[in-house]
Amino acid sequence: MAIRQIRTIGDEILTKECKPVREMTSRIRELIDDMFDTMYEANGVGLAGPQVGVLRQIVTIDIDDGNQYVLINPEIIEESGSQTALEGCLSVPGKNGMVTRPNHVIVRAYDENMEQFELEGEELLARAICHECAHLHGHLYVELVEGELRDVNAEATEEAEE
Amino acid sequence: MIRATQSREIILDILLEVLERGAQSHRVLRQALDKYQYLEKQDRALITRVAEGTIEYRLTIDAVLKQCSSVPVKKMKPVIRTILRMSVYQLLWMDRIPDSAVCNEAVKLAASRRFQNLKGYVNGVLRSIARQKEQFVFADWERRYSMPQWLIDRWRDSYDDATVEAMLEAFLRPVPTTVRCNRTLAEEETIIESLCAQGVRVEKSCFGGGLLTLEHYDYLESLEAFANGWIQVQDAGGALVALAAAPQPGERVLDVCGAPGGKSLQIADLLDGRGEVTVRDLTEEKLALVEDNLARTGFTNVHTQVWDARIFDESWQEGADLVIADLPCSGLGVIGRKPEIKYQASPERIKELAALQREILTVAARYVRPGGRLVYSTCTISTEENEEQRAWFLKTQPFRSVDIRGRLGEMIREDSLKDGYVQLFPGRYPCDGFFISVFERDK
Repeated sequence: MAIRQIRTIGDEILTKECKPVREMTSRIRELIDDMFDTMYEANGVGLAGPQVGVLRQIVTIDIDDGNQYVLINPEIIEESGSQTALEGCLSVPGKNGMVTRPNHVIVRAYDENMEQFELEGEELLARAICHECAHLHGHLYVELVEGELRDVNAEATEEAEE
Repeated sequence: MIRATQSREIILDILLEVLERGAQSHRVLRQALDKYQYLEKQDRALITRVAEGTIEYRLTIDAVLKQCSSVPVKKMKPVIRTILRMSVYQLLWMDRIPDSAVCNEAVKLAASRRFQNLKGYVNGVLRSIARQKEQFVFADWERRYSMPQWLIDRWRDSYDDATVEAMLEAFLRPVPTTVRCNRTLAEEETIIESLCAQGVRVEKSCFGGGLLTLEHYDYLESLEAFANGWIQVQDAGGALVALAAAPQPGERVLDVCGAPGGKSLQIADLLDGRGEVTVRDLTEEKLALVEDNLARTGFTNVHTQVWDARIFDESWQEGADLVIADLPCSGLGVIGRKPEIKYQASPERIKELAALQREILTVAARYVRPGGRLVYSTCTISTEENEEQRAWFLKTQPFRSVDIRGRLGEMIREDSLKDGYVQLFPGRYPCDGFFISVFERDK
């Protein structure tokens, strides 16, 4: 278990297409564990392989709903509705922006035992699934931002208690 | 992916629900905070403060906007109107946020809601207010205390000016959370220790009666004392209703409109396990709140039953030692906690509620055994729903008033107690505005 270095925007690896995982190996298990560690350490809710420098179709998600989702070779098979909200990315530090995403998605993927399953997500989970799956194909949310990419406003949280 | 701080987006959505669509602030706020549980404690504090403050001061804020905007507030688009209102609140009441930050955030918010074309207007209005903010001091009560004039007029007709002004001031002060200790479940000192151990700032209420005020906690559900059922959220005003009723162990009690069950649970606590309480309300949904509280506290002598209080139930005819009629009312006494009530109330609505109260009281009176008691209470401040209802009840029903001096603790000393009633005013007492009256059925 280890914290891996998070690649940031400008790094070529974030623009590349990832390869599917063919079989579960101890290296991949270790990678998944490290991805969770790295994601929690950085206060993220989702992380994709290329963000830690591995061009494999692996996504980890934890939106505090009591589940740790691992999506291997994920494929979004259904999208509906829409939601618009601020979104940020561990690979684009200090920024966020408004992004419109489907409000509901169904994704087909393999779990850590390489068994196929489907996961249905709404709102934040749907947003995280879309955001992370896009990483696997070399895309970042900044391509979708409506208006400007903004600086995370630290000041907003400081005056809360006067 | 990382979650972005989006406090101002959330505030805007809360305010649109409450100020434009007539929703209840505490529900919308609660839903939002539940939905965005991942937010930092400071973010939640900011959201709560700006949302509640904007609602509380809406009339004052609109008066300021009126002076600085060429577009009348009523003609503005709801999203723009709401962005301006929440920004004016931050400019005038939150000194620590720089004016420039308030203006910039407002402009960004307008743009993100697809009003790019109004960015200049929003910026212009807010910068002009920021420049001259020292001069927005209003002498009239409507704008100073952000209270609709018709309510001020009504209260001044009924009560003296000092009482009314103290109440208007009190409505704008922060209200701490009050909880009541279930003393059959744990010693008060044990409960206080448990709360302090979890970092809560606890004070014993000046009303006594096992009431505590809590500050500096994040989620009530995270407190062990709450999970154990040791404490129940209840305002002091509400807690006094049960004290005025003075339930005796062994009594059969009927609470005709009892959800969410605060008073019934308190009575169960006072009954000390002997006797029983039946709590009724209109829907399963409302009674589910009572059931939640029962499951948490473990009281076994409280039962719930869906029943419309307007319909007479023969099986209870003269069957209760004590009937609690804490009836639907205009809620003007809880404006400090639910500020939107002052904008949503109307004279017509008060008239309708007064008629409903009489209808229910007529039915409830028949459940009281000869020599038994009925307590009529409301959380409002309106003679039509309170003093006049009491006088009507004594005149039309076979009941007399009960001297309740000494029942409500040291703190409350009002002459009316000997005639069996009291109107509690926020500002005079540190609690919500409650009306409590106690009657005894002729033998």
